[in-house]
Amino acid sequence: MESRQITVIQAAAILVSTIIGVGVLALPLFAVQAADSGAPLVTMLGVLLAVIGLVLVTLLSMRFPNHTFIQYSELIIGKSLARIGSVLIIIFFSILTSLTAREFGEVVVTSVLRSTPVEVTVIVMLLLAAISTRNNIITFAYIHTFYFPLLLVPVLLIAALSLKNAEVINLLPVWGTDPKKMLKGMLTIAALFQGTFVLTAVIPAMKKPSKAMKASLWGILIAGGLYVIIVAAAVSVFGSEEIKQLLWPTLELAKATSLPANILERLDAAFLAVWVTAVFTTLFSSYYLTIYFISHLFRLREHKQFSYFLLPFVFVTAMLPQNIVQMYEIIESVGRIGLYITIVYPTLLLFISILRKKRGNPIANQMVDPNR
Amino acid sequence: MPTRGNKKKQAMPIKKGPSQTLEKLKDRKITADIDKTIAFIDEILGVNVDLTIRKFHVFGQYDAVIIYFCNMVNPNVINLDILKPLMYMPPHLQGKHIPIDQLKDVLHNDALYHSDCKYESYLSMLIESILRGGTLVAVDGLEEVFLFETRSIDKRSIDQPATEQVIRGPREGFIEPLGTNISLIRYRLQSPDLRIETMELGLRTKSKVAVCYMEGLTNPELVKEVNARLSKIDIDGILDSGYIEQFIEDNHYSPFPQVQYTERPDKVVANLLEGRVSILVDGSPLALLVPTVFSQFYQTIEDYTERFLLMSSIRLARLIALMFSLIFPAIYVSIISFNPELIPTEFAVAVAGGRAGVPFPAVVEVLIIEISMEILREATIRLPQQVGGALSIVGVLVIGQAAVSAGFSSPITIVIIALTTIGSFATPAYNAALALRLLRFPLIIMAGIFGLYGVMIGLILIANHLLSLKSFGVPYLSPLVPAEFQGMKDLLIRGPLWWMNKRPSFLQPVDTDRVNKQSFEELEASTTNALDPKNDKNQQGG
Repeated sequence: MESRQITVIQAAAILVSTIIGVGVLALPLFAVQAADSGAPLVTMLGVLLAVIGLVLVTLLSMRFPNHTFIQYSELIIGKSLARIGSVLIIIFFSILTSLTAREFGEVVVTSVLRSTPVEVTVIVMLLLAAISTRNNIITFAYIHTFYFPLLLVPVLLIAALSLKNAEVINLLPVWGTDPKKMLKGMLTIAALFQGTFVLTAVIPAMKKPSKAMKASLWGILIAGGLYVIIVAAAVSVFGSEEIKQLLWPTLELAKATSLPANILERLDAAFLAVWVTAVFTTLFSSYYLTIYFISHLFRLREHKQFSYFLLPFVFVTAMLPQNIVQMYEIIESVGRIGLYITIVYPTLLLFISILRKKRGNPIANQMVDPNR
Repeated sequence: MPTRGNKKKQAMPIKKGPSQTLEKLKDRKITADIDKTIAFIDEILGVNVDLTIRKFHVFGQYDAVIIYFCNMVNPNVINLDILKPLMYMPPHLQGKHIPIDQLKDVLHNDALYHSDCKYESYLSMLIESILRGGTLVAVDGLEEVFLFETRSIDKRSIDQPATEQVIRGPREGFIEPLGTNISLIRYRLQSPDLRIETMELGLRTKSKVAVCYMEGLTNPELVKEVNARLSKIDIDGILDSGYIEQFIEDNHYSPFPQVQYTERPDKVVANLLEGRVSILVDGSPLALLVPTVFSQFYQTIEDYTERFLLMSSIRLARLIALMFSLIFPAIYVSIISFNPELIPTEFAVAVAGGRAGVPFPAVVEVLIIEISMEILREATIRLPQQVGGALSIVGVLVIGQAAVSAGFSSPITIVIIALTTIGSFATPAYNAALALRLLRFPLIIMAGIFGLYGVMIGLILIANHLLSLKSFGVPYLSPLVPAEFQGMKDLLIRGPLWWMNKRPSFLQPVDTDRVNKQSFEELEASTTNALDPKNDKNQQGG
């Protein structure tokens, strides 16, 4: 037994490092496809949508500060219905895990390790995550906090260095050319924030669950801010038409910039190396969330035994897409389905719990089991 | 024949317990008859040549015997402080007859000069005391014997600590006997709050183990946990504090040390004052400090004795050296084999030129040189000092140069490995440097397979492992993660002493304040220029 230990800063760091991951590499492409030069605007709107979703999820979790999502959904809508929802969430997050691993595996194979099979890079990433999920939630928080600065530095560095080549004209008009496509783009970008659902597992271990809202707002605003910065930097350097020809514009941005004084001639390999940590934290969160929810669904005290059990399933799912194009199609559709699971479903639960006047005990200093 | 030997072993009854002889005598008391006592002791210890049994008469009237191990005691004390006063009656009692029932009190109160003297009647205790270097005096007719603490073991003098030298700071290091080590701590920390609890560990060696902490400062739960862990150690012999470390650490399979050891009494005192617990073992010049966090391994005592600005920068340099020793060869391998486009073109061309005649891939080359470096280093430690110096020169200069000109390795590889090795020597803690030295090899192999990607995977694994480690419940990377502002003042830099006015909170000390900030501000405010030239009478007179 361990006391609730996760602080507000740690919770915010968990959110930021969960959100920022491999999605950043393709983000400017998604944004430009939706709104051309209005990409920063559509990113901002997407972030706004994600903020609304996260606020609702946080409100719901704060009503039940001692329970995880699986537990309180059963309290709200009854066991059988809630279990269907929980199974859907678990399946969704295992798919999200596999797609993240696959996407980054493709990035590595395409840009650095050209003769390595994609299976190897995917399994290495998944193994790394699986080994790390054998820790308790407190260590989970420590790991995220530790890598948090490592995410900010490369993004900000690349954005700052690319200012040299930036053209403001590329960003005009700020509202883009075709406002109709904006809505779809918003949804695509909001789907990149689905990892925030990890907050439902973090709140029961927080020192002060009442401050969870602060953590979630800070977390998503920092991550959203970085997203907007990256999109703005990419669009201002390349222009919207050129970005449409690039698969991972952020990586190209790293390629186009170089450090002053010629210390490193090209930054893309170094950027990608540092980006392994960002991808790892994202993968770690979704993997952890999956096995954490499984262990709760089956009412087990330990989640460790699922770490390796889940590995073959996630790996096989990751290898299902035939190529990068198909993979991105799947990612987009899975992301849109995910919005129903991570935003609409919790919102429904929130309204039902308000209507049925259900809420958990607001005991602040209760002991929690770190292995849950 | 081997089979017969095995059978014989099986047939023998398994001996239980530390000592069969003492176990049998557990409740036996001595009798008033000293011949029986002598016979008992002679039976148990008599085969040892160094056992001395000498009979004499107390005050010329009563038969008595003195028994001790002649090499473990101070003969002067025995002759002058014990034997002499027992043989000669004190002047003020001369002529009086002392009845046997008063003899014990008379001897204790009027005759004996030795201060550390006690009565004992259990046989097993007598044996233990003699084994420890005590002296036994039995008088015919008395139901109890006298036991004197006469232990005197040869010891080396207090030296400079060999592994933790400083330029500025005390020059004393621990030596083997526990008593001397405790005195070294106590004279630096003359506080009634310093508590030293001792226990005996090791079934057969019966080594004395001392647990030191500050009452009213150290968290009592920590002391309790240390004692609980120590009391569960069941081994036949504790020959060094390292034995204890391996039993009480939290994760036995981690390459990272979770207990710090030191041979500096001042370091022990500094850590006691921070709220840690120190464990000393009789016969070991190394004290253990628990709980330990990673930052302790790159801090030295000199960080605090020299001024903060200078030592902060030196500490940063040490930290860079530590990182160097872990990742430098791995990064070199991955850049050379996978991402040569990262380094400036001119340099890449130079590196490629150096590698022109080398037949192996970079990873094999680096591994070969690394392993030979490890062998050289190990050989230098094992060899006698006179030869060791010569060997290291031969190894580093001659082999390195020859390897390059033989086309066995590129000059840049030699430079990288040399920097790495020197970097690992800059880490003050030998055991932490050893851990990083060990982890360097998997990283090089990962770099050879996956390039920078592999190095990052390896580093993430190491970092995650560090983040999950705990020492007595304290997260290993505190105060970095979980973040704690007060502790950060002593993490990468060493803040001024008055700045670090609180004890590290991850140790959860009972008393948190270390520096009175107010009095420091008063000190700052009240300083005057006592020797200002304008006050100089001589100058003004001229």
